Amino acid sequence: MPRPVVKEITFTLDGREITAPEGMILVDAAGKYGDTEIPVFCYEPKLGQPVGACRMCLVEIEGIPKLQTGCSTPIRDGMVVHTQTQRVHDAQRAVVEFLLINHPLDCPVCDKGGECPLQDITYGWGPGTSRFIEPKRHFKKPLELSPLIAIDRERCILCYRCVRYSQEVAEDYQLVLQQRGAASYVSTFDGHPYVAPFSGNIIELCPVGALTSRAYRFRARPWDIEGAGTVCAGCTAQCNVELTVRDERVLRVLSRDHSEVDDGWLCDKGRFSYQAVHAEERITQPLVREGAELHPASWEKAIEAAAAALKKAGDRAAALAGGTTTNEEAFLLSGLLRDKLGSSHLATGVGGEQPLDVVRALADPKLQATVPDLEFAHTVLLVDCDPIDEAPVWDLRIRKGVRRHGTKLVVASARPTALDQNAAATLRFAPGGAEGFLVALDAALSGDAGNLGGAASAAGTNATAIQEFADALRAGGEEVVIVYGDRALRGSAGRALLNIASRLNLANVANAGLLELPSTPNGRGLREVGFAAGHGPGFSTISAPGHGAEAIASGLASGDLHTVWLHHVDPLRNYPNRPAWEKALGTAQTVIAVESQLTDTVREYADVVFPAEAYPEKEGTITHPDGRVQRLRQAIGHPRAASDVPGSGVRALWQVISDVARELGHSAGTAIAGAVVSKRVFEAVPFYNGMTLDGIGGRGLRWQEHATFEVEQSDPFVLAVPASLPAKGESELRLGTFRPLWAHKDVDLSPALQFIRAKQVVELSKADADARGIGEGDRVEIGNGTRIPGTARIRAAIPAGSVFVAEGIAEHNANVLTHGIVEVHRVGPGSTDATSIPIQSTPAVEGRAEMPPSAGLPIPPREVT
Amino acid sequence: MPANIDTILFKDIDEPGLNTREVYERRGGYEMLRKALKMEPSAVLDEMLASGVRGRGGAGFAMGRKMSFIPKGTMDKYLVCNADESEPGTFKDRELMQKNPHLLIEGIIIGAYCIGASKSFIFIRGEYDYVADILDAAVAEARAAGYLGENILGSDHTIDLVVHRGAGAYICGEETALLDSLEGKRGNPRLKPPFPAVQGLYQGPTLINNVETLMNVPVILNMGGAEYAKIGTETSTGTKMISISGQIKYPGNYEIELGMKTRDILFDLGGGPLEGRTFKAWFPGGSSSPVMPLTEEVLEMPYDFDSIAKAGSMLGSGAIIVFDDSTSIVDVCYKTAHFYRHESCGKCSPCREGCNWTEKMLVRIKNGDATPMDLDIIESVCNQIMGNCLCVLGDAMAMPVSSMIKHFRPEFEAYIEAKREEAGFGVAIPQTNRGAHAGPGPLLQPAQAA
Amino acid sequence: MAIDPSKIKRYSHGSRVPGWDEAADLSKDPSVVPDPATTYVPDHVREAIETLMAKYPDVRSAAIPAMFIVQREHGWLSPTAMEQAACVLRLTPAYMVSVASFYDMFELTPKGKHDVYVCTNISCSLLGADGVYARMKDEMEGDPDFNVRAFECLGACDIAPMASVDGVYVGPLTEDDCAQIKADIKEGREVLPDKQLAKRKAASKHWNR
Repeated sequence: MPRPVVKEITFTLDGREITAPEGMILVDAAGKYGDTEIPVFCYEPKLGQPVGACRMCLVEIEGIPKLQTGCSTPIRDGMVVHTQTQRVHDAQRAVVEFLLINHPLDCPVCDKGGECPLQDITYGWGPGTSRFIEPKRHFKKPLELSPLIAIDRERCILCYRCVRYSQEVAEDYQLVLQQRGAASYVSTFDGHPYVAPFSGNIIELCPVGALTSRAYRFRARPWDIEGAGTVCAGCTAQCNVELTVRDERVLRVLSRDHSEVDDGWLCDKGRFSYQAVHAEERITQPLVREGAELHPASWEKAIEAAAAALKKAGDRAAALAGGTTTNEEAFLLSGLLRDKLGSSHLATGVGGEQPLDVVRALADPKLQATVPDLEFAHTVLLVDCDPIDEAPVWDLRIRKGVRRHGTKLVVASARPTALDQNAAATLRFAPGGAEGFLVALDAALSGDAGNLGGAASAAGTNATAIQEFADALRAGGEEVVIVYGDRALRGSAGRALLNIASRLNLANVANAGLLELPSTPNGRGLREVGFAAGHGPGFSTISAPGHGAEAIASGLASGDLHTVWLHHVDPLRNYPNRPAWEKALGTAQTVIAVESQLTDTVREYADVVFPAEAYPEKEGTITHPDGRVQRLRQAIGHPRAASDVPGSGVRALWQVISDVARELGHSAGTAIAGAVVSKRVFEAVPFYNGMTLDGIGGRGLRWQEHATFEVEQSDPFVLAVPASLPAKGESELRLGTFRPLWAHKDVDLSPALQFIRAKQVVELSKADADARGIGEGDRVEIGNGTRIPGTARIRAAIPAGSVFVAEGIAEHNANVLTHGIVEVHRVGPGSTDATSIPIQSTPAVEGRAEMPPSAGLPIPPREVT
Repeated sequence: MPANIDTILFKDIDEPGLNTREVYERRGGYEMLRKALKMEPSAVLDEMLASGVRGRGGAGFAMGRKMSFIPKGTMDKYLVCNADESEPGTFKDRELMQKNPHLLIEGIIIGAYCIGASKSFIFIRGEYDYVADILDAAVAEARAAGYLGENILGSDHTIDLVVHRGAGAYICGEETALLDSLEGKRGNPRLKPPFPAVQGLYQGPTLINNVETLMNVPVILNMGGAEYAKIGTETSTGTKMISISGQIKYPGNYEIELGMKTRDILFDLGGGPLEGRTFKAWFPGGSSSPVMPLTEEVLEMPYDFDSIAKAGSMLGSGAIIVFDDSTSIVDVCYKTAHFYRHESCGKCSPCREGCNWTEKMLVRIKNGDATPMDLDIIESVCNQIMGNCLCVLGDAMAMPVSSMIKHFRPEFEAYIEAKREEAGFGVAIPQTNRGAHAGPGPLLQPAQAA
Repeated sequence: MAIDPSKIKRYSHGSRVPGWDEAADLSKDPSVVPDPATTYVPDHVREAIETLMAKYPDVRSAAIPAMFIVQREHGWLSPTAMEQAACVLRLTPAYMVSVASFYDMFELTPKGKHDVYVCTNISCSLLGADGVYARMKDEMEGDPDFNVRAFECLGACDIAPMASVDGVYVGPLTEDDCAQIKADIKEGREVLPDKQLAKRKAASKHWNR
């Protein structure tokens, strides 16, 4: 889809000629090119079309009798604008006087004080006095809007930003304005809390102190704090953030607007899980197992123990990396294993590895789509992934494209996604049917009727549905972006995906291509620096490929492998098939873990534990799924150990790996500074050549824009129909899993997010629930042999015959279920039938004319699933 | 008497069964639709332009020109009939729709044909439930007879009409708020530009016209635009429905030729003041028009768009509210401010806060807790609202309120002093000190200076 | 530390706005689009709303008519009623309540069965509407059958002072008519048949000239 082209024009601003791009909004043009601030409250370009509600930005434009709102007026050639006339000043003062009528003067105790647009604008443009002698409105304050957000309605100036956000950006339509006129207020339905994946953004949007973060309230004043820019490493979206730091503690996370990465939004996980950095539970010094117990140990001892175990294991050592692992750590660790120990048993993904030619072909810069492409493409195809859980801000980006640019969204997944409502076409296949779907879609696009039917039924759907879906995919236009989760890439799925890309000619269409959703935040970077079983840095060929994750588990269990290094990885929680990993770790001679807390893996199986750095403590680079290399900057110092002896606490992980390498006599793998490792990474990976940390800076660098990576082009592959899904009996259901946004160890450790920790839910269709006598909210058990309990959630969108449970969660994790076919049944008494609910004759709360009972702030938040 | 011009919209208005298709057709109904379908849309538009008919909703914008702004070409275009008649004092559309719904439907179909809209709506205020029922029945009849639906009267035009009931909000009479409300949202006015003719309902070009305006469409087509233009004055052509109410003998709807003398309207049609009273002042065009004292000079004024505008008020929707010497101006002022405070949508700050503040000050005046200086502040606040709002609702409060203070200041002051005494506050600050209270700076000076 | 709400100062002129003092109830789940699988909607309500949805190019336009339907069904726009409408329209209940609270004809608290709207705007009050309203309230207040409200201009100033009784416009009213209106409704009769606007002739005819 064509993106806006800009032409330079000249207009007159307060008697000066200003040159600016045509069509730019006057407020922006005046600020950016004219060095003139026009005050605004409601204007926020990220929220879509201007509404012109606050009337703060009134300016005089020659030729138009009435004052115009600068926030809604695009500049035109020859326009003459006055912002400093008496008329404009009168209007601005009038608006400030009106806004302050009911705004309390509690700035000294307001969290926003010092960084408050209303305060600034009142000083700059206000009348200085007020003639309003009536009593101001007084209300109870603050009130809880959600466990994360407090609302102070006295302070609200009704600028509409938060409700516009909820309706036009997050599209959750939960936060709305009620009543009208001067009685309007921001609220939710019937006292429900505003809990949504992106609710925290309204705190940043609020131009007064009406919406404040309950986690940040009264923690600091603007003059106490410093801002530190870095990148959130909580998920693969890698949003740019600014950490608010006071006394070496992170107190708040703000967005550092980057239109090519996050568009200026953050999810609540990224915004509030910083609390885990300072959690009591953090491991702050090395631990070494002596006998059955883990004991605090000195760094020397731990490094010695790790080095000894690796030395002994030699090429029977393996390593897994994930989480916030930086490119530098991955580079050093993979170098240590591959070059010193001769082992390429390096795994990052949860699935198996694709053949090297497929991996290379998928990294082809010509096929690479970017995040802005999600917004501007003709069509976006989601393959078996739900961005809301895996890269939340992409969800907002896709919504934006659909809403503002008419992008067509087509979704093919086993589980209904959050974006289904916005989709032009959706296709449901059976859990585990992604490979079959991709092969069938390829066949439908190429007109291969033979493969189509077989592959479609292997995916648990039918040829007609696939054909219609393929037509919908093609209908929008040639710019197609395919977003796929790496869990979809099994068997021939990678080749099928490449076929689809070539059938849609994506390599030769600008702004189209593939975008992977890796299962770990730095999945792409780990692969590119060579942390992979099948290739070295820059996808170079290696002589002896190693094992993928599943093979490492079986190798450890069988004794073929001896030692495993778990770098920011918790296989018992985050990898499929927990029983296999329990066996593997139990059998392994030595388990070396880099971890921030005492997880099951660490407590039960680790022999040497290195304390992990939190991302605000890290220095290094990570690579965004679209190839943007971004810098993590250290915002706070490393925590000290309990003993408080300098040097005994958390250390930089590149340094730890370097120390282990030194201990092993691997001088090539040692470094004296983090920047040295970065330099080495940039040299080792051909397409990173020429990068520098300064060059990457605060905005990152996409390597595809500076370097090439030649991929051998091949004809479309001939694909076989994948094996059909295992048969299921009448009373059985097909098991699908999903990883909720909130299934993250940092969420578990953040006090503010306790209420939303992911618990096990069993999602099933109405038909299946009715057949089993299960009602909404009932306790159920699911499994086949091994069973886990959960809460039933009946959803109309779930296809009959499938059931979905959450993985990656702390308790009752779905990864203990190893069988794809399960049974579900209710435990305990059933809930009431919906049809028996009588019509309400009285309101749930007292009539609104009277004061409703309202609890004080310290209500213990209930945990919701 | 002058009212005996040939009534057009009100012709045989009380004929039994006029609201049925049968009677309407017997009187020649839907003939103009047949005629229009044989004409080019542009020819229909030319007639409208020639007629010079101005919108009857309040703003008085020429209807033909508004139609000509609708872009040509095939796209989803809409015609919306604004039947959200909520301006206090206005009730003409109610009677027209109740008694002659088919004339409106015919006008809508011709209008839709003229601009190339295939979907049209009547947005009727929810309180007019029984009128909406009549419209629904008439639409069903028209559809059954092939005037609405696909391929109307065998042509290749598809025109559908939906009667949409509002739910009670004055602001929905504002055209963009009406569109938002019709789209199922809160009725907040939109920022203009883009104007509805370019981007209106569901983002498509939209023509919005008042009931009375659209009812004139078949009439104009029948008479010919040029012939129609001969009725009334040069710039205010045609007949106009006026609604007379308040303290007057014969309230009701009358159809007049624009340019009629005010005295004739109030005394001949309205029958003059109630027994033993004399007229004090009037709202010449709905409660949002500035109030004018009924002086001899005003009574001599011709009642048309331009003359009233020249005299400092506006014709608006043609709703005349008269009040007599028994009524306190403060009560009227308070009722007016209260209404607009209640109906302000709250989107833009000057209107939301300004109406609220003004009402509070008037409450203080009524409670005896004010001084004459508060009148200065009210005037200043009204000035701060005027011209600074998103739509005209703020101005609609500010104009009548400030006009009342302007024309009846002595009465306000006397009222304030009397109430103060009643409340035991004593005499207010001497008049000579007025203005000092209003504070420094140009913004804060009394309104007279501005 | 909870503040006692009754201690917060209130002002007589209505500066305390309903709703502004209400916090969210953190024990509730967030209110998203109700899932059809778990939301009971009576069939006739669903059908009526779906018919409406088909009439408009954008289903959201059906929100206001749909709320009239559920308001009739439930007597007022209870949370259950909102959820039912939201479920059929695929919108959130919050969206519905935001729209509903904007308009005067939707009732977000339980109300009496019969709506009596007394116009108290300028034209009517010039002719004594405030007295009629006060009397009407005296007659009907506390009776669960009636919902008496002072309304802004109902568009019938020719019969001022007037009232809309379940949608039937009657006027000009005297204060004594209030009792008759109440009796007529109670007995199920037509309300003030000789004062109904619908039966009235156009003004110029009416005054016999």
